[in-house]
Amino acid sequence: MTTQSVADERAVRLVAFRHTINRWDVKVSPYLYISPFFILFAICGLFPLLYTGYVSLHEWSLIGGEGDFVGLENFQFVLGQPKFWDALRNTFSIFLFSSLPQVLIALVIAAVLDTNIRAKTFWRMGVLLPYIVTPVAIAIIFGVMFSDKYGVINTLLTNIGLPAIGWHSDVIPSHIAIATMVNFRWTGYQALIFLAAMQAVPRDYYEAAMIDGASRVRRFFSITIPQLRPTIIFVVVTSTIGGLQIFDEPRLYDQFGTGGADGQWRTLTMYIYNLGWIESNFGRASAVAWLLFIIIIIFAALNLIISQQISSGGSRAKK
Amino acid sequence: MSTLTQEAAAESLAQRKTPKTKTRGALVNKPGWLGYTFLAIVMVGAIYPLYWAFMIGAGDQSTITERKVIDLPGPHFFENALEVISSPTVNFWVAIGNSIIVSTIVSISVVFFSTLAGYAFSKLRFKGKSGLFYFVIATLAVPTQLAVVPLFIVMVNLKLAGTLPAVILPALVSAFGVFWMTQYLEQALPYELIEAARVDGASMFRTFWSIALPSARPAAAMLALFIFIQTWTNFFWPFIVLDKDSQTLPVALSVLSNNYFDDYSLILAGAVVSILPLLALFLVTGRQLVKGIMEGAVKG
Amino acid sequence: MRNSRRTAAVAIAGAAVFALVATGCQSTDNGAGTPNNDWENEEITLTLATFNNFGYTDELLDGFTKLHPNVTIEHTIAATSNDARTNYFTKLGAGSGLADVEAVEIDWFAELMQYSDKLVDLTSDNVKDRWVSWKSEAATDADGRLIAYGTDIGPEAICYRSDLFAAAGLPTDREEVAALLEGDWAHYFEVGQDFVANSDAAWFDSAGATYQGQINQVKNAYEENDGTVIATTNAEVEDIYNSTLEASKTLSAHLGQWSPDWNAGMAAGAFATMLCPGWMLGVISGNSPDVTTWDVANVFPGGGGNWGGSYLTVPAQGAHPEAATALADYLTSPESQIAAFVEAGTFPSQVAAYGTPELNDYTNEFFNNAPVGTIFTDRANAVSVAPFKAAKYFPINDAMMNALSRVDVDGTDDAASSWDKFVADVEALG
Repeated sequence: MTTQSVADERAVRLVAFRHTINRWDVKVSPYLYISPFFILFAICGLFPLLYTGYVSLHEWSLIGGEGDFVGLENFQFVLGQPKFWDALRNTFSIFLFSSLPQVLIALVIAAVLDTNIRAKTFWRMGVLLPYIVTPVAIAIIFGVMFSDKYGVINTLLTNIGLPAIGWHSDVIPSHIAIATMVNFRWTGYQALIFLAAMQAVPRDYYEAAMIDGASRVRRFFSITIPQLRPTIIFVVVTSTIGGLQIFDEPRLYDQFGTGGADGQWRTLTMYIYNLGWIESNFGRASAVAWLLFIIIIIFAALNLIISQQISSGGSRAKK
Repeated sequence: MSTLTQEAAAESLAQRKTPKTKTRGALVNKPGWLGYTFLAIVMVGAIYPLYWAFMIGAGDQSTITERKVIDLPGPHFFENALEVISSPTVNFWVAIGNSIIVSTIVSISVVFFSTLAGYAFSKLRFKGKSGLFYFVIATLAVPTQLAVVPLFIVMVNLKLAGTLPAVILPALVSAFGVFWMTQYLEQALPYELIEAARVDGASMFRTFWSIALPSARPAAAMLALFIFIQTWTNFFWPFIVLDKDSQTLPVALSVLSNNYFDDYSLILAGAVVSILPLLALFLVTGRQLVKGIMEGAVKG
Repeated sequence: MRNSRRTAAVAIAGAAVFALVATGCQSTDNGAGTPNNDWENEEITLTLATFNNFGYTDELLDGFTKLHPNVTIEHTIAATSNDARTNYFTKLGAGSGLADVEAVEIDWFAELMQYSDKLVDLTSDNVKDRWVSWKSEAATDADGRLIAYGTDIGPEAICYRSDLFAAAGLPTDREEVAALLEGDWAHYFEVGQDFVANSDAAWFDSAGATYQGQINQVKNAYEENDGTVIATTNAEVEDIYNSTLEASKTLSAHLGQWSPDWNAGMAAGAFATMLCPGWMLGVISGNSPDVTTWDVANVFPGGGGNWGGSYLTVPAQGAHPEAATALADYLTSPESQIAAFVEAGTFPSQVAAYGTPELNDYTNEFFNNAPVGTIFTDRANAVSVAPFKAAKYFPINDAMMNALSRVDVDGTDDAASSWDKFVADVEALG
């Protein structure tokens, strides 16, 4: 064999090797690129969720760790607690008080912003301002503002001759106060989302309506709202998932953080925290976590089905 | 998953469905005085609570009992703010430092991994792609925050409880981020560019690094901004797992509200101070934030 | 080197104004011959976690660091005993994150005792017979390990607003007030009725606090000595619950303890009297610094009573158990505790503190120069019952506080329905 052919063979092998590498590169790279997400999700999302199920079937204390297998005893226990049902009621009530007014006010803000307004950026940034405030700071500020006896809200009410309201003692007022914190932070944000969707509505729709002599209000209800329906529904669906896990605002609403003497504003996530870290009972805390998990999934699915039916009836299907 | 990510995802999905038209004709509405009044009321609602907090925070211990609805701020704000910031029990400076560390690392990590995955999902061919992508979207609906008990147990066993990595690790990737970057790159990155790089013999990763990453920049910046704010304001998990030495700003703030329960001028001064870092960020990047929320993933 | 530095330090401190600091540390130095003193040579930071107001001033802590210049102390304060408890158990479960020296309140001390193996045994000749016997007995676990050093006890007096008393035609002099209030709880409530008939203010702050004063006079309120829970069947508990709520209808300011409204009400004169364990003095003066009419009377309904009082523990998870023990030793010395009492009213549990001129001669300026040293010594001597508190005491009492608040503060329930919820809560503790 000549040196020449040896070199040739080497070159051929090298090219082949490069080819193999390249093929592997093409084949494996995509999986490599998406793998960080899946690996971390598996470790920090999926595994803990499943493990929650495991813990919920055991006696398990914060300090002592894993105890005996107890089957569904923890579930039985929490479902038998009025506290659980109260927390469920509070969670949904706060959610309703926050999502409904929020969507309505945000729609109106968006409608006003959608007009040919002066200083557009100023107004848009202005309504978004509360979004950058930490919920903890919001809760502290509003918690003091809503103090039953010395708070500024009750001062305002009594100044104009209305009776003071038990913002911390009564169930519904406390929910309204907490929902106000949520609305304070998110309404402007939602308004911008709706604004974006409104600007995507073809203007000729409006022009046609105007030629037909429809009033501004009428145009809003018969064109804007139907056109925005998918956006509205999607916003509601997704905020359900976050809203039903509310913790920060009710936790910091008073100085004890346990949701009131009668659990007036104790939410399910707070109940999880109280069971796990105040009563040191991880088993029961996990049981509530699983129940809330199921509730959220059912709710999200339900909303999704509704939204899909509506959108498939109306606009064209997603590509 | 937080409301933020879901809402933004919702918004971008909604945008996908409705084609954007730019026909803003001459018939566009002018806002009446009613519109301006309404907006002004909204603005007052957005600003009043913050001003009120500042007003009380600039007073002294008895200001709160005076029950003033509105007043000029007193002269004690800097004094109160200084007392809060330098209080060894609250560790405000350490907390701000921790918040910066956590939010920065998480933002960078989320942007990088999201761009990487978004590039793969939008531009590369591989088996099971659409199924995996739908899985990513589906995880947006999974309330992972509820799994705090096992996460706590895991962190304890890894000896990470009470340290910043306990908060950073679970936040390194984001389904929303993957979704966001996929949407963006699908539109913004032409196949020709990728092919040209490949023909030139660039490896897959090199192509990503020198072609995909630069063109992802606008969307990446917005994603970073969102993730930064979201991480900065996060409370539940940091509150459970962090120590006094490792606490982030919201956790420190909750400690503050407990420690100075007898002096609301200090608590509210602290609350106002805690707002300042993000307020500064907002003044610089607010325009982009508005743009990011409004334009979503489609236009970038 | 090591020796000379310490001697120098002692000399400086001894010469310094703070004479009691030196005595406080002398006892620590007794252990100098033992081999485990490596910590004296390295730069270390000790963390100290307390709640409320223990009266640990920077000066007091400096007294320790002057003697041990290698040590830096970081002091964290939680607002309430509840917060401190949650934090303690969470970090105990996490196996890390506790301070080197952690304060524990008497109400949840028994609960912590279950995990005494996670705490450092603090037995030492230095502290032999330092405390009143029930205080140190409660801190000794089944194996005879002393796991905590007592700080203060909470003998109770009555704090009152002399301006409100005067306006309602009641005496204002603290001895006359003491004579006026001498008697049982029914008498205290009767005087209250007289007061509210002539005043816009309430008689006491909350049903919760008033209940606390009474329940701490009961030997076995919630648990038998073997730990059996009797809270819901004990007629004594239900009686106190009902009579307190009945009295609260007309006498209470309906302010939840530790709430913003409670703090504000204290300064605004919303109520005329408060049950006053020593440590409450600091709370009152902190909350209403501009009020000049708070005073304290040497009297307590039903005789004597103890509310609260705390311990310092050294969790085993800490990096510097020896140094932490020395710090706990220093802080619970009679001298340090007297200094703390002067600062915050936390009355010493240390035998050697009683009768000392520092304590006897101490008057509190804020409370119109009331001789609080002698008053609280008297109040401590009047305590005749050491309530038994086992592992479930804290959660049961917490449920009870909520039950009282539901009726007194929130008005969401009447006494009967709130009691039913309390029973359910106690049963849920399992």
